[in-house]
Amino acid sequence: MKRGIQSCLWFAAVVALIACADSENRQQSIERSVVRIVNHSQRGDWYSPWLSRAPSYSGGSGFVIEGGLVMTNAHVVSDARMILIHLDDDPTPHEARVKAIGHDCDLALVEPVEVGLLDDFPAMTFGGLPELGSSVETYGYPVGGQRISSTSGIVSRIENATYAHSGADSHLTVQTDAAINPGNSGGPVIQDGRVAGVAFQAMTEMENVGYFIPSEVIEHFLVDVADGTYDGYPDLGTQVVNLENPAARRDSKMQSGQSGVRVEFVYPESSADGQIEERDVLLAVDGYPIANDGTIALDGLRLSYELLLDRRQAGESVPLEILRDGERHHISVPMKVYPPFTAYRRLYDQLPRYYVYAGLVFVPLNTEVIVSRSEDLPEHLLYELYFRPIEEPLDTRQESVVLLRRLDHAVNGSMSWYRDLVVDRVNGRPIESLEELIETIENNQDSSHVFEFAYYGRLGVLDREAAEKANEEILEIYGIAEDRNL
Amino acid sequence: MRERAIGKAFRLAAWGVASLFFAGAAAAQLPYKDQIVALRVTRQFFDENRPWVKQNPEVRDGTAVVISRELLLTEASMIQNATFIQVEKHGRANWIPARLVHQDPAINLALLTVDQRGFFDDLTPTEIAESAATESVVHSVRWKDRQFEVSNSRPGRIEVIESPFGSVHHAILRLSTDFSAGGWAEPVFADDKLIGITVMQSGQTATVIPAEILKAYVERSTRGGEYLGFASIGGLRWQTNTDRALVAYLGLEGEPRGAFIRQVPWGSISCSSLRPRDILLELDGHEIDASGNYNHPRYGQLRFEHIAVEGHEPGDIVPARVFRDRRLIEVELELRSYPSSASLIPWRRANSAPPYLVAGGLVFRELDGRYLNAWGSEWRTKAPNQLRYYFDLLSVAQSPDRRRIILVSQVLPAAYNIGYHGVADLAVKSVNGFEIDSIADVAQAFTQPKDDLHRIVFYPNSTIREVILDRETFEEATQTILSAYDIPSRLRLADGELPDLGPECPQED
Repeated sequence: MKRGIQSCLWFAAVVALIACADSENRQQSIERSVVRIVNHSQRGDWYSPWLSRAPSYSGGSGFVIEGGLVMTNAHVVSDARMILIHLDDDPTPHEARVKAIGHDCDLALVEPVEVGLLDDFPAMTFGGLPELGSSVETYGYPVGGQRISSTSGIVSRIENATYAHSGADSHLTVQTDAAINPGNSGGPVIQDGRVAGVAFQAMTEMENVGYFIPSEVIEHFLVDVADGTYDGYPDLGTQVVNLENPAARRDSKMQSGQSGVRVEFVYPESSADGQIEERDVLLAVDGYPIANDGTIALDGLRLSYELLLDRRQAGESVPLEILRDGERHHISVPMKVYPPFTAYRRLYDQLPRYYVYAGLVFVPLNTEVIVSRSEDLPEHLLYELYFRPIEEPLDTRQESVVLLRRLDHAVNGSMSWYRDLVVDRVNGRPIESLEELIETIENNQDSSHVFEFAYYGRLGVLDREAAEKANEEILEIYGIAEDRNL
Repeated sequence: MRERAIGKAFRLAAWGVASLFFAGAAAAQLPYKDQIVALRVTRQFFDENRPWVKQNPEVRDGTAVVISRELLLTEASMIQNATFIQVEKHGRANWIPARLVHQDPAINLALLTVDQRGFFDDLTPTEIAESAATESVVHSVRWKDRQFEVSNSRPGRIEVIESPFGSVHHAILRLSTDFSAGGWAEPVFADDKLIGITVMQSGQTATVIPAEILKAYVERSTRGGEYLGFASIGGLRWQTNTDRALVAYLGLEGEPRGAFIRQVPWGSISCSSLRPRDILLELDGHEIDASGNYNHPRYGQLRFEHIAVEGHEPGDIVPARVFRDRRLIEVELELRSYPSSASLIPWRRANSAPPYLVAGGLVFRELDGRYLNAWGSEWRTKAPNQLRYYFDLLSVAQSPDRRRIILVSQVLPAAYNIGYHGVADLAVKSVNGFEIDSIADVAQAFTQPKDDLHRIVFYPNSTIREVILDRETFEEATQTILSAYDIPSRLRLADGELPDLGPECPQED
């Protein structure tokens, strides 16, 4: 009996040793696949849009995947002027470039300039969505360290949440108490030796709360970029409200046992336009019934029904069950990217669009303009960008153009109003885009340019001949190489 | 050496005694001590988030100036929402009840009296100067903690600002003062006459309502008959007309001049006479320059808005020269008051309680400045976005069919209104199909449901468009919620009628 116990212990010890060795091998393999990324970047200046800001550098993490590529976060390699990757046990930095980038899902693929550089590095593979309460390990190079670091934690929440990089997109996220610090971004979160997600953001108001992008979102990105271009997430283009109140369900003519969410608004020319109507009830998506609070039951979790919309690529259709005036309908909605939402996102990898004419600086209104003016932002710009499309959808401009500021000169120095004004009309023509404004100014043969601004009835006038004469001089005085970037 | 030290100490002590004596003598020589009284006002404001509740009472100390054998003059903002008013004279510890006789929140002045027999016997009425323009040293005075304080103040610039409670744009005097925490109706004297009353103080700079306005207010409020108040350019939106290219485009020859009119709201002074894109060149015989200033006979360059205030009353007709459609025309403007209540979103709600309705747990109220200030002094960054831009874009845009913005400010959670607990600060368009323009409209609409539901429709917004409630259980649920949240009454209607803003402005051709 005693001998039997000894045998068991010996066997167990051997198994443990083998397991330990396996674990060590796996650990080494993971650590070898995780790289440090240094990004020397440069952003445009949205208040002086002809200028670029001073270059800066930041560090993040990434990991080797199939095809000799490194996966990381978009925010790690955004606005790159030069990207360097540092490999395990290799003192030489290697130049790399962005192969594909998705700012709405904060993911990117980076490829080394040197062909075959990563051939000897094990490519990591992806697992599924980890279970709540299960353990995960994060790997990366937090807070600028040059040695790899790993921390472990528990999966504490799985839900749709805002991706801070774009500031305007919500996708599935996994919350963990494994430490995720600056520099961890882009590093893998591992479960059972496979990538469960990419670490990407932390909650500053709470301690030990980090988030990673689950494999579902990663897969969507990889499928999207397989053809060489990134299209981005399509949007249904509806605004919905929950139907938890029984009177509201009765008003929507829902039967006992039916549940769903009511459509309050359909964005013009979105995927839903022409397919879904205001006051329709979305009963089910992809065959999954939508609860009155807008959730679906999926793999033992209650998640937002939008998760199922997120699974579509641009061009694919999503099957929906709707209730319209008490009648059920099954429809299939082709999903497309909705360009107007771009104005709500932070912008990367592009310089600001602008036009300088006679010292007046015109820009399209977008979130970067709002952010650049956060200290003294006039309310009407917020309204124009975020609320007017909802409140006055029929009067919404395709692109709002703003007279951002004035470069003082005799030709414009006596204008009473010259900053933060939404351009309504120029020379009598309604302005729907920056290009339209330029065309209107350049084609004008009258003696004056007349600018009518929205909201407060303000009016500005330039003498055309004087303006054209002063234009070159103003550009030269203020050191502006190009009068426009479109 | 020792003697010299003692001698120095003696001289210092003697100097100190002399100084005190001088201060006492100076104070004794000043007649102002008998011309002002300390004012103590107990005030109680409403909790704007729970409009059925009053906040804790607060006490505010200030000053009132004796202007006759029965009247005291002070600023109206002191006595807003007053529950008890007291005065004290001569620094004696004896607070005596006072009574409000008249107030005009729009110009921010008020008259008080004291019913106690003989109260005014040992007080001296103050003569109000013809003008605040003076080359003398001016004195700001007050009783503070039963000490009489005098500040030799220095007049600064005269400028035109909008009165804090109304929309009267009038001249004020900026005064450098030594008082700390002033701005509570301290009178300002020069040559023994009252030249102004402070209504605000920031740092050591006080804002003073000048004598011209004090005199006009006292005269108008005491002469009997209907009090018409002060006329105002309020609501009119204009811009400076310095732009040569703009002037040339409009066809006005010569140097840029006049005020370029941008918007003319309903109910404003100029609604029937001025139009957007007019250039107002002259008002009541005063030429207006390209900065919008005219030459005041005593104060020099002042914004033209003051013309409507000084020497004029509502109802007066004043001539104006206007450049319109490339020609000069003469028009007449009928002066009128433009109270805060003429705005779609009144900045101040003087003295009145906030109207509200609690229905099915939804709290309906008007959007006004007091509600915005419930987010504190930083409401411009902390209040919900939609309320901030309503204020910026719509605050003066009252129209005959939209005179107030009615909000569902919050939902008092109950089983009845489940699903709507997060609804807050949304503007109501209709209830049960009836367009909403007042709390009374909301109350009425709830009595007339079209079917077995109550429907509250909001103006388009970024969250919810419609709240739908069960009609059958509505009354019972409302009573339960009122009881659960300890609300004494479901409804408070607005005090009085909205001001008559006259016929709608003529539309542009």
